[in-house]
Amino acid sequence: MAHNKQVAVIGTGQTVFKSHHPDRTYVELVQDAAKQALDESGLSPHDIDAVIISMAPTVFMGVNDADRWAVEHVFGANKPVMRVHTGGASGGSAIQAAHAHIASGAYRTVLVVGGDRIAETPDAQLVLNLIWDKFYEQDFALTTVTMTALSAQRYMHRYGATEEQFARVVVRARRNAMRNPHAHLKGEITVEDVMNSPRIAYPYKRFDICPRSSGACAMVVSNLEVAKSQSTRPAFITGVSSITHSVFMGDRMGLWSENEYSDYDGMWRAAKHCYQQAGVVDPARDVQVAELYDPFSTNQFPQIESLGFCGRGRAGAISDDGGWDWNAGGVSISPSGGTLCTNPIGVTGLVRAADAATQVMRTAGEMQVDNVRHAMATAIGGSQQFYTCTLFSADHN
Amino acid sequence: MNQSVTQPMVIPGEWHVTYNYSTGKIAGQFFEALRERRILASSCSVSGRAYLPPRAYCESSFEPCDGWVEAGHEGVIEAATIVTAKFDNLPEPPYAIAFVRLDGVTTAMVNFVQGLDLSDVPAAIAKLQPGTRVAVRFKDEPEGRITDFHYVRLG
Amino acid sequence: MDVFVLGMAVHPPADVVGGKRLEEMVFDTTRAALADAGVKRAEIDHVTIAASDELDGRAISSMLLAMPAGAYLRDETKCTDSGLTGLCLGAMRVASGVFDIGLVVSWNKTSEAPVENVMRMRAEPFYTRPIGLNMAITDGLFAGAVCERYGITPEAADAQARRAYAQALRNPRGMGRAAPTPVAMDASPYVATPLREIHRAPFTDGAVAMVIASGDWLSKSGGRRAKARIAGLGWRSEPYDLGAERLAGLAGFRGAIDDALRTGGGLTPADLDVVELDAQTAFHHLAYEAALGGWGAAVSPGGGAFAQNPYFCTGLVNATEAVRQVSNAAYGVQVAGARRALAHGAHGYAQQGHVAVVFEGV
Repeated sequence: MAHNKQVAVIGTGQTVFKSHHPDRTYVELVQDAAKQALDESGLSPHDIDAVIISMAPTVFMGVNDADRWAVEHVFGANKPVMRVHTGGASGGSAIQAAHAHIASGAYRTVLVVGGDRIAETPDAQLVLNLIWDKFYEQDFALTTVTMTALSAQRYMHRYGATEEQFARVVVRARRNAMRNPHAHLKGEITVEDVMNSPRIAYPYKRFDICPRSSGACAMVVSNLEVAKSQSTRPAFITGVSSITHSVFMGDRMGLWSENEYSDYDGMWRAAKHCYQQAGVVDPARDVQVAELYDPFSTNQFPQIESLGFCGRGRAGAISDDGGWDWNAGGVSISPSGGTLCTNPIGVTGLVRAADAATQVMRTAGEMQVDNVRHAMATAIGGSQQFYTCTLFSADHN
Repeated sequence: MNQSVTQPMVIPGEWHVTYNYSTGKIAGQFFEALRERRILASSCSVSGRAYLPPRAYCESSFEPCDGWVEAGHEGVIEAATIVTAKFDNLPEPPYAIAFVRLDGVTTAMVNFVQGLDLSDVPAAIAKLQPGTRVAVRFKDEPEGRITDFHYVRLG
Repeated sequence: MDVFVLGMAVHPPADVVGGKRLEEMVFDTTRAALADAGVKRAEIDHVTIAASDELDGRAISSMLLAMPAGAYLRDETKCTDSGLTGLCLGAMRVASGVFDIGLVVSWNKTSEAPVENVMRMRAEPFYTRPIGLNMAITDGLFAGAVCERYGITPEAADAQARRAYAQALRNPRGMGRAAPTPVAMDASPYVATPLREIHRAPFTDGAVAMVIASGDWLSKSGGRRAKARIAGLGWRSEPYDLGAERLAGLAGFRGAIDDALRTGGGLTPADLDVVELDAQTAFHHLAYEAALGGWGAAVSPGGGAFAQNPYFCTGLVNATEAVRQVSNAAYGVQVAGARRALAHGAHGYAQQGHVAVVFEGV
């Protein structure tokens, strides 16, 4: 690869995530995260060439294009600033846009930042119902909950997965989150706790579903020259890929479909492209960490399979066996606790990316997995429609 | 500053934004046909696919859809769920929704499933597994809206 | 930059594009761009969309619009700032080496969206929304500030409005609106002083799509010819809060143009033959011209926003006019011998954001 196409993460920052930050406005939260990332990178605001803001529907905050409000607060005044929005995948798309800013040679340093304040409106689910087609789908209570429930029900039918297996995913996530100072939900719970929580939409009980989190995240990305002077151990972005599907979920089911909705098989296409760019040929052995976009307990297994870590339908049995546990010698799945424990919708994909990058940079604190050479971060948006895969590596291509 | 803020303030706000969406010709024809208890899928002669919901173009071939196929009034469940929690502005639970691929159509379309006892959720969902055949039932007086019909289990 | 424009299409503008859903407008425009480029959708490897949910009236508009924009099973992303910003992001993606050939697509069905209400909701809730700022009002504030700063008189603004309509009428691709009569001009009501209705470019419905490719792809494409090279890019965002410097200073406008000239290989204003401005009002046009300080380039021969104004992507429409200029295809308004053209786009409260792209003939 040509010299100027190397792209590295040299700093990250996250606020603590919780239901509400009554004492910080949106713009103050994003500034907190941006400052942390800058401090870690050793750069001053003056050194940042361009800013990218990750923000999904601003309707939750009740301010249209809230990113514009935040411009000065993220040190972007009079600089190139743009906002990337692909629904829940926004954070993943934003880090990929940063990659383009640098690998194209246009800029040397980019700050990627985002925040969300879901609790600003109690009508979050109403808003999420509005993403569906007005004529054909809004009437049927399609929500982010039911659309994923449908995918899960189909997965269970195809592979015999059970609600208990998904409950074990939640137990592992909450336990992992105990090592994460920023996570929203954390603690020791049991499979019974999950199974006894109120039913929401089959197969979900309350504990199968992520919290609504407020908070912010930021990353500083640079070219190789700046990385060499600022960081002893940057995380190189060696693979960037995304894939988009038809919005109609019904197109991805059935005999004649080109895709299988319950397998998230679009992600396999994106992952393959990612691995090709990075020269990874054996994902299960080459990748030590995967920070997944997993707001629901059932999101993990199909993604694990689509990322090539095991065969189709096998992820559940391996999970039961402890095969995805933190630092157990296989691929550690969502060591941060993942989106199941922390979901600031508009920036969630960026939090995944930051949690993956810090593993490579060896700054993951108590979450640190041993010998991380490659870490994958995923993000999903729309009706399981937009998938992004970003690979972070200890060495550049 | 000689005042300390004891409690962060909250400023209430609300918005009500109206839009007018034009249906275009394709959706218009689909809804007209519903009034006659007919379900029309748009089809593409290049790819051979027939789509519900109907659309003006084929994603696979990226050509305009150039025909209509009348969907059968029976089909197979591809995915289903039973909703038991109340969400803002959405129906009172419990209710079931399913994606059904009607006979003659390539893709599946969502609608309510009625006529099932939903009080025991695991028992009910077992009756809505992918592969289960269902039939379409129309309202007595269709209005040209997607809620003019729903699904019921066969047998 | 080693990025080229292979093809493009602009949806025929109208006050209201009736009889088509937004998705159908976007599909028609995207297909037309592919046809113009002589490229099949199967050949493209990425799509960059630029759109605003609030202006589209949907909570995540790309869910429904990604497919008609050609993104099925493709690597697709979306920015929300402006159509011309989308072209910058797309160009960087191609220049990164990860992608070879793709689409940039943007649209705005202004007839369906309550534009002023959407803009009003961009005000933060604490200090400005209780006062009530929307697009017309902030443009009024802008107009007042630039009159003060650049000595623009109401008569000059009126004259510019008449000129703008006259120039727009020469562009066969525009709306073809008749220039306002003197009676209509005098009768035109104030919107927010000193801005009157007649000074504002009316909104229209529209969509734009471009096919862009790397030089590498072009050289292997068996003789396909580009229309233009994307020579330089620049975009800047000014601070959010309005104040005199922010309104009349035009730092973002100047900065974006400087960046585009610099990345274009150290170009100077004298190297430009054409500048297509996204001036939403007559006051904007005069202020931008004052900020440019008397360049030799022809300014807005395509008529700018007065020819058509699908607000969110007017800057991208300007880009198509700029490409036409350097490929000798700007029928009706061709500037003879044009080799380099700059397209400008603006967005945000009182033009918080500016984008500039320089095209070079090939």
